[in-house]
Amino acid sequence: MKISFTLIAAIVGFMIAIQFQTVKKPVERDTRDIWQLREALLKEKELQSKLLMEIRPIDEKLAAYDSKRTQSKEQALRDTFQELKVEAGLTEVTGPGITLVIEPVMEDIQLGSPRAKTVSPDLLQRLRNELNMYEAKYTAIDGQRLINTSVIRDINNETKIDGHTIRDLPIEVKVVTDDINTAEKLYNRMKVSKSRDEFFTESLRLNISSPSPTITIPAYVNPIRVRYMEPVTEGGGS
Amino acid sequence: MWLPVIGLIIGIMLGLMTEIRIPEEYSNYLSIAVLAALDTLFGGIRAYLQNIYDEKVFVSGFFFNIILAASLAFLGVHLGVDLYLAAVFAFGVRLFQNIAVIRRILLTKWSTSKEKLEKS
Repeated sequence: MKISFTLIAAIVGFMIAIQFQTVKKPVERDTRDIWQLREALLKEKELQSKLLMEIRPIDEKLAAYDSKRTQSKEQALRDTFQELKVEAGLTEVTGPGITLVIEPVMEDIQLGSPRAKTVSPDLLQRLRNELNMYEAKYTAIDGQRLINTSVIRDINNETKIDGHTIRDLPIEVKVVTDDINTAEKLYNRMKVSKSRDEFFTESLRLNISSPSPTITIPAYVNPIRVRYMEPVTEGGGS
Repeated sequence: MWLPVIGLIIGIMLGLMTEIRIPEEYSNYLSIAVLAALDTLFGGIRAYLQNIYDEKVFVSGFFFNIILAASLAFLGVHLGVDLYLAAVFAFGVRLFQNIAVIRRILLTKWSTSKEKLEKS
């Protein structure tokens, strides 16, 4: 009986000791004087300079790799790809340009004639051609980017741009040009263009805002299908 | 009589000398196990004084109580309820009761021996 009691007492004591040690936080007081502290500081500084020395060659290596990468073929290909993407209209574009707002003519409504609900595709097509004629670079109608293959047509009495129905009037047409001077020119030309008269005959008014340095045009969202083009095979008899 | 006390001291010395530390998150379990062990120890002393001591009951009770308490704490942690408080409460109450009983037994023993001494 005594043996088991003793054994269990020992186990309890052991557990208590461990618990005590776990709970008790070791309090270590810093008793170093100023010279010892300086010594420690010096040691740390040496370590720091050593680490810096180690970092330097690695940094150099990194820079070397970087420059190698920028000069490589891959980078050139990437740049070309990006350029093509911009040209095809797959990226968002911000630049100087003007905003045109197409809205119904309010005076007309008072006369009792039905209010124009949409813009006819022909009208938009003419506007687009006119804008392109006056050196517009990127165009978006009602937030829909126009690219080379964009179609504006009438489907079931709704004007659609690449399958996207344009909203009710007023709608916004954003145009971005190469620079602010071209934007200015475009603005002046649009102000006296025939388009305005054409719009007015359909009870629509074309408001032209003065040039702004930052007009943002969204990217073209639909996939571009290439149907009648094929890559040239190298060494082919073309 | 002194053997258990010596065992306790040896255990404490061993624990302090080995400098074992358990991780912070398990200290809850250990504390409850210590409580269970203490409870069993005092229960054993009481039983011994009341002459109903059974070694099997004592040893099995010791390990079983520890395991039960630890698993209760474990369950409590996983349920998000502080179930180990239940164990703390139960063991605490029993600890007090056991110690009170031990005290009374010792007091009666002491007074009877004193009376005997006076009589003789």
